Amino acid sequence: MLHFARFVAIRAAMAVVTLVIVSFIVFSLMELVPGDCAERYLAFKNTQGSAISVADIEAERVRLGLDKPFLTRWVIWITNAFQGDFGESCILRLNISRLLGDKFLLSLGICLTALALAYAIALPVGIISATSSSRLLNNTLRLVSYLGLALPNFLLALIIMLFATVMWGESLTGLFSKEFRDAPWSWERVADFLKHAWLPIFILGWSATAFAIQTVRALMSDEIGKLYVTAARARGVAGRRLLWRYPARHALGPIINSLGFDLNRIFNELPVVALILTLTEAGSLLIEALARSNDQQLAGAIIFLLTGSIVAVNFATDVILALTDPRVRRSILG
Amino acid sequence: MTRLLDVENLTLQFDTDEGRITAVDGVSFSLEQGEVLGLVGESGSGKSVTAKSLMKLNPGNAIYGPQTRIALHLDDGSVDIMSLRTSSELQLVRGGAISMIFQEPMASFAPAITIGKQMVEQLLIHTDMSKKQARELSIEMLARVGISDASRRFDQYAFELSGGMRQRAMIAMALSTRPRLLIADEPTTALDVTIQAQVIELMKDLVAEFGMAIIFITHDLGVIAQTADTVAVMYLGRLVERGPVREVLRSPGHPYTRGLLEALPDLEDLDRPLTPVPGDIPSPLERPSGCVFHTRCQVAIEGLCRREVPQFVDLDEHHRAACHLVARERGAA
Repeated sequence: MLHFARFVAIRAAMAVVTLVIVSFIVFSLMELVPGDCAERYLAFKNTQGSAISVADIEAERVRLGLDKPFLTRWVIWITNAFQGDFGESCILRLNISRLLGDKFLLSLGICLTALALAYAIALPVGIISATSSSRLLNNTLRLVSYLGLALPNFLLALIIMLFATVMWGESLTGLFSKEFRDAPWSWERVADFLKHAWLPIFILGWSATAFAIQTVRALMSDEIGKLYVTAARARGVAGRRLLWRYPARHALGPIINSLGFDLNRIFNELPVVALILTLTEAGSLLIEALARSNDQQLAGAIIFLLTGSIVAVNFATDVILALTDPRVRRSILG
Repeated sequence: MTRLLDVENLTLQFDTDEGRITAVDGVSFSLEQGEVLGLVGESGSGKSVTAKSLMKLNPGNAIYGPQTRIALHLDDGSVDIMSLRTSSELQLVRGGAISMIFQEPMASFAPAITIGKQMVEQLLIHTDMSKKQARELSIEMLARVGISDASRRFDQYAFELSGGMRQRAMIAMALSTRPRLLIADEPTTALDVTIQAQVIELMKDLVAEFGMAIIFITHDLGVIAQTADTVAVMYLGRLVERGPVREVLRSPGHPYTRGLLEALPDLEDLDRPLTPVPGDIPSPLERPSGCVFHTRCQVAIEGLCRREVPQFVDLDEHHRAACHLVARERGAA
């Protein structure tokens, strides 16, 4: 038990170190964007009609602390970030945490649900497909999952939107109906959210499922071909007991291991899908901040939060793996 | 001696993407109770496939010939193994009356299940023991095969044991259900030579103690000489020679058996050049006609061996070989 606590502590420390390194990379990228927050804000003001001088920009720089050296600013940024404070948006002049509000949690919820959906389908389907010798079943599955892998998400989203518009006269966009958009959370709002969220979840889950089926199928086929399965069969173990206790159980480790990677892929796809479906969550905000307004503070905060979630998932899967796989467990517990 | 096993005309083909491959072709042999049969041949000769047929353990694309008969004679009657279909019927030959140990002891234990759990699982399937009894017997068996601290080992995983220890545990597991026949598929090939000798010693002891028969699959004639009573030599899915181990090793009838023996180093005469059997095993997709060995045989009879499948001829009372040349010499004598 003490060993296990030590393992968790070490692994958690490693996650924090990873986060610090990531934050450095993210912060450096933010700095690489031409111009800084002061220039950008005042240039923005300029377009609004106020006249801005170079002295104003300098004064703003000092006010934002942008005249301090790079490393100092990084340390300040990371210290605040770990406390959940990402400073102010360059353009909107709002506290980023307030600005993001629950938008990031909505994004995370959508992505995690898509991931859960993907594996809820992929686990049974992949296992059946790996154990079945039916050519028809396997070829159908292969076709469907290649479609899932080959069809870009944005195209799928557009196709569904097109159909929905033609058939029901509704484009199925957004995450909330108008009346709930800025309303406080209530059961009605949750219901409304779910009514809208199924589409992005479905679209993100679609390719994730296709990918997960391939993963599960390959891992299962690999395990089924191993000698220990033949040996178990030679001892009279058969049927479902053989399948679940032997190959399925042993394929689980690598599957758990790949969850963080899968979440990463879904995150990558979220912004484009969010943009097309005009979702009001962090993914579309990220695209907005990166591509349109060049709001490096906001973009950096979202990227840091996304990476943080992946690091957290990886930490969780490592701990689960240590609990379930005796090879890992023994190497930790000695 | 009482008969334990009769294999008649075992023919086995595999459906593959490249076509139908013949792995075993008309193999017949029988086994007495308590007999140790060494099944010898190069890789690809069909020896493992033959042994797995006794448990119907070959993969789904295996097609058994319609003439194939495998009869297992037990105390309470004979069983036609080919007619066993459901997994509960097959339990009799899978871990019940027949057990099997494999070449790689590491790979034949499930890595994430303790050795003890796998042993108990087998006992619960094949006997009406309680979990507690199964646990006690398993620990007893582990101790019997020479594993020290057996009750601790019981709760360990295969990766925590040494190679020799794993194979001992495998043997303990295979024997725990008291099978009448043990199939040992190259059980010592993956072990160090010193460990190999220990494991062979152990197996010999256990044969005497449990009174079971063994089919010992190997390509190592030295191991055969130490362990087996009789030996059967396979080449490309056919049985080419069979007889008591001393007779076959001292006066081999078939040119292939002779070739195998000449390929062995001789400790008495280390200067003698080793003569490997020339050529490679032909692809199973291009099985030679007539005698399957004629493409590599240095004494093949022009015109005959390529066309006709040789029949078995008696060299001695129990010693037989399937070779045209032997038949011709015998006929002339």
